[in-house]
Amino acid sequence: MERKDYLENPVKHIKIGKALTVNELMQQFKNSGSFGAGRLASACDIYEKMLKDPDCTVFLALSGAIVPAGMRTVIADLIRKKLVDVIVTTGACMVHDAIEAVGGHHYKGSWMVDDKELYKHHIFRIYDIFVKEEDYMKLDYELSEMYREIAQERQGKSLSSDEFAWEIGKRLNDPNAILRAAYEENVPIYIPAVRDSEFGFIHWLHSSQQDQKNVLLVDAFKDVSSICEICSKSPKNGMIVLGGGVPRNTVQSSALASKKGLDYGVIITMDRPETGGLSGSTLDEAVSWGKIKGEADHVMVIGDSLMVFPFMVASVMERLGEGFKRNSFYQREIGAGC
Amino acid sequence: MIGKAPLKCCGNCDSHNMYVYPTKMFCSTRYAQNKDPIVDTLGYCEDWNQVSQECYCVRDALKAKSQNQNLTGER
Repeated sequence: MERKDYLENPVKHIKIGKALTVNELMQQFKNSGSFGAGRLASACDIYEKMLKDPDCTVFLALSGAIVPAGMRTVIADLIRKKLVDVIVTTGACMVHDAIEAVGGHHYKGSWMVDDKELYKHHIFRIYDIFVKEEDYMKLDYELSEMYREIAQERQGKSLSSDEFAWEIGKRLNDPNAILRAAYEENVPIYIPAVRDSEFGFIHWLHSSQQDQKNVLLVDAFKDVSSICEICSKSPKNGMIVLGGGVPRNTVQSSALASKKGLDYGVIITMDRPETGGLSGSTLDEAVSWGKIKGEADHVMVIGDSLMVFPFMVASVMERLGEGFKRNSFYQREIGAGC
Repeated sequence: MIGKAPLKCCGNCDSHNMYVYPTKMFCSTRYAQNKDPIVDTLGYCEDWNQVSQECYCVRDALKAKSQNQNLTGER
């Protein structure tokens, strides 16, 4: 590159001269193009491209306590508006969703609290959010009854984790639930580490019942062919990650296993690459594995997904407008056949 | 320990979980036996033990019982 090539784009200063919409502010961030603001503006551009690309299947990988913190409706709305095609998440995320679906709540609390006192009051803490033990127990009881019913229907035949999520979503009546929205809109929810959550531990209660003729069986290996097939059939694949962990790795590795590599990638995380952990690893590192294509549009936004993601969704939805109707390859060709 | 006379308290067993705080418990032992697992915190459990748990559920259930008795005039 010539010297002048490095100096083509001067930073334009962010100007807030009047009340701005979310997307107008995002355009100002784009003019700056710097640091976190620049990365967030790029994330919005990439998500918009994914949604406007008729060949792109959009995978949303969710981890962390996003539901207790208040992002449940954002995710359920994305499903209902068909702005995501496939969700990959942790068992805990969907347990938090199910707790609210059966009437439980998460409460604003504080991290400056005596946790020994909380323990004595049967209250659990997720940083500055509180949840009552009885809300977990009500879910456990309902889940255990659901497990019994599903196991009877399946007669010893195992389910993949997305089939498991579909069966739970079918039995939840709350229209605001992520699981219910996904069930109604035919959006698969893969929960590869389903056992590592209340969904898994409640299995002990379910299987402890005397005269239990059928025990619910979830086979995580069944997920592999199913999700790889989606990647393989889709002409293009895009990934949005909130957090990282198993959900991110599942999407990336499915893209690798299906010999496709991702075409778009947006990651919102607080994790750092220096420890060698997956969650903080850069998307450039993923290029070396073939998990994402070298020419793919990608960006990593370092930030709290609870602050960043709603901002990103609001900006992109404003760009698309009310009349935008997405008809992705997944919805046309894959989901329609499920 | 709760008072002099032994009370049968589900909140004192090792596997209690709250169902309606503080008066109702979920009993996983009864669930495994296909019995109704939702039981009163006080006066119910045959497996009550003398070792009190750290938590406040039995204390609060006793308070709730006392308040209820005051309201109804029961002794």
